[in-house]
Amino acid sequence: MSQEHIEHAIRKEYAAGFTTDIESDTLPPGLNEDTIRFISGRKNEPEWLLEWRLEAYRDWLKMAEPSWAHVNYPPVKFNEISYFSSPKAMKDRPQSLDEVDPQLIETYNKLGIPLHEQAALAGVAVDAVFDSVSVTTTFREKLWEAGVIFCSISEAVHDYPELIKKYLGSVVPRKDNFYAALNSAVFSDGSFVYIPKGVRCPMELSTYFRINEANTGQFERTLIVADEGSHVSYLEGCTAPMRDENQLHAAVVELVALDGAEIKYSTVQNWYPGDADGKGGIYNFVTKRGVAHRDSKISWTQVETGSAITWKYPSCILRGDNSVGEFYSVALTNNAQQADTGTKMIHLGKNTRSTIISKGISAGKSSNAYRGLVRMSPRAEGARNYTQCDSLLIGDRCAAHTFPYIESRNPSAVVEHEATTSKVSDDQLYLCQQRGLDAEKAVSMIVNGFCKEVFRELPMEFAMEAGKLLEVSLEGSVG
Amino acid sequence: MLKIDNLHASVENKAILKGLDLTVGAGEVHAIMGPNGSGKSTLGHVLAGRPGYTVTAGSAQLLGQDLLTLDTEERAHLGLFLAYQYPVEIPGVSNMEFLKASVDAVREHRNVPALDSVSFMKQAREACKAVNLDQAFLKRGVNEGFSGGEKKRNELMQMMLLAPKLCIMDETDSGLDIDALQVVADGINAMRSADRSFILVTHYQRLLNFIKPDRVHVLSGGRIVKSGDHSLALELEERGYAWLEDVA
Amino acid sequence: MNDFMQQALAAAARSAPPWLEPLQAQGREAWSKTSLPTRKTEAWKYTSLQALQKTFSAAPTQAAGSPLGDVPLPKLTGPTLVFTDGHYRSDLSTTELPAGLRLVRFADATSDQAERIAAALGSAILPGRHVFAPLNDATLTDGVFMDVPANTHIETPVHIAWLTTGQNESISVTQRLLVCLGENSGATLVESFANTATGGTAFTNGLTELLIGRGAQLNHYRLHLEQGDVVHIGGVHARQDADSVLNGFHLALGSALKRIDLVVDQQGPGAHSSLDGLYLPRGTETVDYHTCIEHAVPHCTSQERFRGIIADEASAVFNGRIHIHPQAQKTRAELSNKNLLTSNKAEINTKPELEIYADDVQCAHGATVAQLDPLTLHYLRTRGVPRDEAEVMLSYGFINELVEAVAQAELQAFLKPLLARRFARDSRLTRHIL
Ligand SMILES: Nc1ncnc2c1ncn2[C@@H]1O[C@H](COP(=O)(O)OP(=O)(O)OP(=O)(O)O)[C@@H](O)[C@H]1O
Ligand SMILES: [Mg+2]
Repeated sequence: MSQEHIEHAIRKEYAAGFTTDIESDTLPPGLNEDTIRFISGRKNEPEWLLEWRLEAYRDWLKMAEPSWAHVNYPPVKFNEISYFSSPKAMKDRPQSLDEVDPQLIETYNKLGIPLHEQAALAGVAVDAVFDSVSVTTTFREKLWEAGVIFCSISEAVHDYPELIKKYLGSVVPRKDNFYAALNSAVFSDGSFVYIPKGVRCPMELSTYFRINEANTGQFERTLIVADEGSHVSYLEGCTAPMRDENQLHAAVVELVALDGAEIKYSTVQNWYPGDADGKGGIYNFVTKRGVAHRDSKISWTQVETGSAITWKYPSCILRGDNSVGEFYSVALTNNAQQADTGTKMIHLGKNTRSTIISKGISAGKSSNAYRGLVRMSPRAEGARNYTQCDSLLIGDRCAAHTFPYIESRNPSAVVEHEATTSKVSDDQLYLCQQRGLDAEKAVSMIVNGFCKEVFRELPMEFAMEAGKLLEVSLEGSVG
Repeated sequence: MLKIDNLHASVENKAILKGLDLTVGAGEVHAIMGPNGSGKSTLGHVLAGRPGYTVTAGSAQLLGQDLLTLDTEERAHLGLFLAYQYPVEIPGVSNMEFLKASVDAVREHRNVPALDSVSFMKQAREACKAVNLDQAFLKRGVNEGFSGGEKKRNELMQMMLLAPKLCIMDETDSGLDIDALQVVADGINAMRSADRSFILVTHYQRLLNFIKPDRVHVLSGGRIVKSGDHSLALELEERGYAWLEDVA
Repeated sequence: MNDFMQQALAAAARSAPPWLEPLQAQGREAWSKTSLPTRKTEAWKYTSLQALQKTFSAAPTQAAGSPLGDVPLPKLTGPTLVFTDGHYRSDLSTTELPAGLRLVRFADATSDQAERIAAALGSAILPGRHVFAPLNDATLTDGVFMDVPANTHIETPVHIAWLTTGQNESISVTQRLLVCLGENSGATLVESFANTATGGTAFTNGLTELLIGRGAQLNHYRLHLEQGDVVHIGGVHARQDADSVLNGFHLALGSALKRIDLVVDQQGPGAHSSLDGLYLPRGTETVDYHTCIEHAVPHCTSQERFRGIIADEASAVFNGRIHIHPQAQKTRAELSNKNLLTSNKAEINTKPELEIYADDVQCAHGATVAQLDPLTLHYLRTRGVPRDEAEVMLSYGFINELVEAVAQAELQAFLKPLLARRFARDSRLTRHIL
C-alpha cells in the first residue's frame, strides 16, 4: 500500500456534499422551554405532547452526556444549535407532489432518491425528511388500500393520537439516555408506520433524511408498529451537505413487533463525515430499539459509512417466547471518522434466538469500535445467540476495537461469540493483481467479499447502493 | 431377543416412525436398508432413548424387558449397543477413561467382577489391534479429531469391549476403505454367537457379502415395507427403492 | 475514605524494614486519594465490593506457630517458603536452594539486595492499573524477592505458599512477591494461596511482580485455593523483555470474593505470553479474572485460554483485554474463554476485548457460554455410564485440556484429584478420571 494512495483516499470528495439554496424558516440557536413550546406550537401539537416534551427536557437537564464510548470530540454546545428548520415554501404543506418546490425535488434527484417517478419504478414509498420537516410521502393511497399507515409523525399525532399515545416512548423511554431525552424534548419530525393485523406491507417503505441548513440539529423520531402477524420492510437513507461545523443528529427509532409480526429495518447512513482533518461532519448519536413479542422477528441491517462520530446500537428486546433478533452491520470509517456501534440483544423470553454479524472496516486514521451486549435473563430457557464480529484494517494509522459484553444467567441458554481482526493481506492483493485487477479494484472486491454476509440481508436496490458507497468511501485508500 | 410392535415415534412433533414392526431372534443378523431420511437412524436412537425422540405408540422389548421405560444407561446394561452413524466427539475425556467407565458400569450391572487395570489395558490393546487402530488412540479425546473411518472403528472397539447382546450398527460401513471394511466385517463375524444378535443398517450390499444376514428389511416412510432374505439386498442394489413405493 | 479504607491502613502499623518506609508513605498518600470502585466503574461493573463491608483487623504481630492441619497444598521437591497470616514460618519451610537461585525475604535483605528491591518494586505495575496496589505498598512489611541471575536455569520449582489462619476473626494480610529473571535464565514458580479451616476469615491483598529479562523463560503457576469467607483482591503484573516467554497457569476455586488482575506488558520484540486459567466458583462465591496483554512492541505473540464452571448461585466474571499499540506490528494474539453454567442461579459475565492500533496483526477471540451438551451426555449413557458419573466426566473433561497442559508433573498430580473432586465428593464418580 503506498502512502501516496492513502493520501489520495483521504482527500476524496464527499459525493453527497452539495447544499441546496432554499429559503428556510430556521429557529435561532438555543434551547430552553420556549424553544420547545415554539416547536410544539408550530406543529399545532396537543397539550399532552407539549407536556411530554417538557418533561423530557427537564429530565435531560439533569442528565450527563455519556462518556463511555470509544470516541473523542469537543463538548457539544447545545445552545448553539438551532432546533427547528423548515424549508420556507413548505410552511403551508404541499397538497400534491406537483406543489413541492422544484429545487427540493432537484435535491432529491441529485441524491439519487427515488422520490417521484423513480419511486414508482422502484416500487418504493418514500417519506423524505428535509432538515426537520417531513416533506412528502409518496404512495400514500396505495398503502391506504392495504390498511398501512405511513405518514410523518407530526401528522400521525393529529390523525392517530391513540396509537401515538400508546407507543411513543414505549420502547425508548424519555429518560432512556441523554440523547434520547434530548430527542424526546425537541424532535421535529420523522416517520410513523402502522401495519394492521395480518397484513404484509405491499411495498418497501423508505425514508430519506437530509440535513441542509447550517447549525441545525436534526432530531427525527421514527415509530413503527407491526400488529400481530404483519410484515414490513423499512429502509432509511441519510445524507448531509459539507459544512465546516459539526452538526448534531440525535434520532430515536422505536420498533414494536407484536405477536408473530416481522420488521426488517435497513439503514444506509452516509451523513457527511467531515474533511480529511476531521473538520466538520455529523455527530450521529442515535437510539434505535425494538421490542419483539411472541414469535415475532426484528432484523436490523445497517451500512454505516458516514458521520464524523457515530454512537449507535440498534437493539432488540426479545420479550416474547420464540422471538428472533438479528443485527447485520457494516461500518466503514476513513480519515478522522470515529464510530462506536453495535447492538444489544436482551433475551427475556424462552427459546429466543439472536444473530449478530458485524463487519468493521477502518482506514485512514479513523477509529472503529464494535460494542455489543448479549444478555440471557434467568427466564430465557433454551435461548441462543451467535455473534461473529470481524474487523478489517486498511493502513497503519487506524484503529479497530471490539467490546462484546456477554451476560448469562440461564444454564440452558447457549452463547457463542467469535471475533477476528486482520488486514487486507498482501497475498490477497497480489493474487488479485495477478489476475489483472488494479489494487484499488482488488481492495474493493476484498472488502465487498468481507461484507457479503451483511449485504445479502439488504433489499436489492440498497445492496447495490451499499456496495457502491463502500467503493466510493474507500476510493484510492490502497495501492 | 428384540421384539418391536407397531412403534410410532416423533422428533420435534414430526412423526418419523409410523407403525414399525420388527422381531430379531437370538443369534440372528438382520440388515435394514432404505432411502435417506426414512427413519433408520431414528429407530436406533429411539431404542437407545435419545432425548428429543418421543414414542407415541407401540412397544419394544429386549430380552423380554420393556425397553422404552428404561433409562438410557439401563438399556446399555441390559445389553443394547448402538454404533452411531455420526459418533460424538468428546474433547477432554480420553478414550481410555471413557472405555473403562463403560466397561466397569456394564460389568457391575451384569454382576461380573470388575476388571483390574492391567487386564482392562490388555483387553483394550487387543481390541485396538482387532480394529486396526493404533494404541495412541486410547490416549486421545473420545473421537476428537478422528477421521470418519477411525470413528467407526472406535465404535466397533467399544462394542467389542462391552460385549452387548444386541448390536445396532448404523452405517458402520459408510466411509470405510476396502481394508477397513474387511476389518469391521471380521470384527463383527468374530463376535457373532448364539446369544448375540445384530441389526446392520446399511446402504450397500457389499457389507452383506462379508456378513451374511438372516433377514433383510426395507424401511421406508417409517415402516418396514418389505422383508426377505439376502437376495432382497441384491435386488435393491440392482433396482433401487422406487419399485417399492407402491408397497409403501 | 470509608471504614474499609481506614481499617486497611491501620493494618500497616507493624514494623517494616526502614528502607520500605518511603514506599509505604507513598502508598498511604496514594491510597488516601483513591476512591473505592463502584458498580459504575467499568472494571468493576459486575463485581460488588460488598464483601469488604466486614471489619478486618490487623493480622497478629506474631506468627501463630500452630501446625497447619490439612490445608491442601501441593507437595513439591524444591525450596518452599510458607507464610501464615503474613508471617514467615521457618518451621514449615524448606530453604535449601538450588545453585544460582537467590530467594530472600524483604525483612532479611542485605543492603545491596534492599537497594535492588526498592528500585524494582512497583516497576512492573503500570500506573493506575490496579486500584488496590497503593494499599499493598502502604501496608507492606515483608515480602519475597526471587532473583535468578542471567544464564541460570533452575530446574526445581520454587514454591511459595501464602496461608491465612484467621482464628475466629477477620484479618487483613498483605502479600508481595518480586521476581527478577536475568537474561536467558529460566525458572518455575508456584504460588499457592490457601486458608485453614478455622472459621476465621481474611482479606488478602496479594501482588506479584514478574520482571522477565531478555530471552528468559518463567513458568508461573498461581493457585487460589482459598475457600469460605476469604476475600482476595490482587494480581500479577509482568513485564517481558525481548524474546522472553511467560507461561502462566491460574486457578481459582471460589470464596466470598476473588478479584485477580493479570497484566502482562510486553516490552521487547519476540516476547511470548501464554495464560491458561480455570475458575470454579460454587455456593454463593464470586471469582473475577481480569486479564490484559499489552502488546507494546512488534513481533510478539500471546495466547490465552480461560475456562470456568459456575455452579449453584455462584457468579464469575472474565474480562480479557488484548491491547495492541500502534508500533506493535506483526502481533499474533488469541484468546478463548469457555464457560459452563451448571445451575439455574449461576451467573457469568464475560467480555473478551480487542483494542487494536496497528494494522498488520492477527487477533482473534472467542467466548462461549453453555451447559453440558445433552447429546454428548446421552452418548456416554448409551455406553452404560450412569448419568451422574457421565456429568462428572464431562465437567472434568471441560477443564482437562488445561490441566493436561500443566507441565510440572508434581503439580499436575496434585491438581487432578483436587479438581475432579470439585465435581463429586463421591469417589465412585471420579474413579475413571483419576
Ligand atoms: N432433530 C430432528 N429434527 C427434525 N427432524 C429430524 C430430526 N432428526 C431427524 N429428523 C428427520 O427425521 C427423518 C428420518 O431421519 P433418520 O436420520 O432417521 O433417517 P435415515 O433413514 O437414517 O437416513 P440416512 O440414510 O440419510 O442416514 C428425516 O427426515 C430427518 O430429517
Ligand atoms: Mg441414518
